[in-house]
Amino acid sequence: MAERLSNREGIKGMANPTRYGIERVAYWLQRLTGLGLLAYLIGHIYETSTIVNGKIAWDKMLEFTQTPQGHIFLTLVIGMCVFHTVNGVRVMLGHGGIGVGKPGQPEYPYKAASLNYKQRLCIWVSIALAALAMMYGASVLFGD
Amino acid sequence: MRESIIMKIHYGTALGAVALVAVHILMRMSQKFSDSLQYQNVIANYHFLPYALMLEVLLILLSVHGFNGLRVILLELKQGSTYEKMINYGSLAAMAILIAYGSRTILMAGMGVS
Repeated sequence: MAERLSNREGIKGMANPTRYGIERVAYWLQRLTGLGLLAYLIGHIYETSTIVNGKIAWDKMLEFTQTPQGHIFLTLVIGMCVFHTVNGVRVMLGHGGIGVGKPGQPEYPYKAASLNYKQRLCIWVSIALAALAMMYGASVLFGD
Repeated sequence: MRESIIMKIHYGTALGAVALVAVHILMRMSQKFSDSLQYQNVIANYHFLPYALMLEVLLILLSVHGFNGLRVILLELKQGSTYEKMINYGSLAAMAILIAYGSRTILMAGMGVS
């Protein structure tokens, strides 16, 4: 019992992004981008609510958000949104049994069939698409 | 409600939101981005009923998806009967508050109350 407890890492073991390869990194990015997008949604709903206070309040809010810092923040939101969407579709398909391989007899070194090259490729594609979308978003925002 | 049904709702709201967010962004890209944010243009968006209805649906989809996602993350971190009840009802309340606040903006701006 004492040995089991001493080996128990708890949340630190679960949170370690370096241990289980790109799949664990994708797991964390999906959650972090989700939380970031939820925070943005709340902020965006608050920000747009200033429209009901008239033109002066709206223009004041635009002065605050339409700045280089605001554009950088929006570029990050675009990246988070694209990664969360594409990786989310991968997770959704995986839950439906698509792209996770066939079940088989477990053999040493017990590599999970679900963590195959298709899944890894999808994660890298998600990251690449997010980067491309950020570049395009930045060109639109800063090109204005 | 069974978790399997909740996850189907989670995925359904995600797919719906992706489509509507694309329309929402395209509306901003239909003209120069900074021009699309001018007061008159934004008010005109709210006065256009189909677009206002789409914003309302988008608000509901994103709130349900966002707060259910937060609920899932919080339930992964800790379990327990009281904790789970607190998280479930807390997420529902937060969802309802955000939808109510966003709907207030859509209604007031759409009806020209300012």
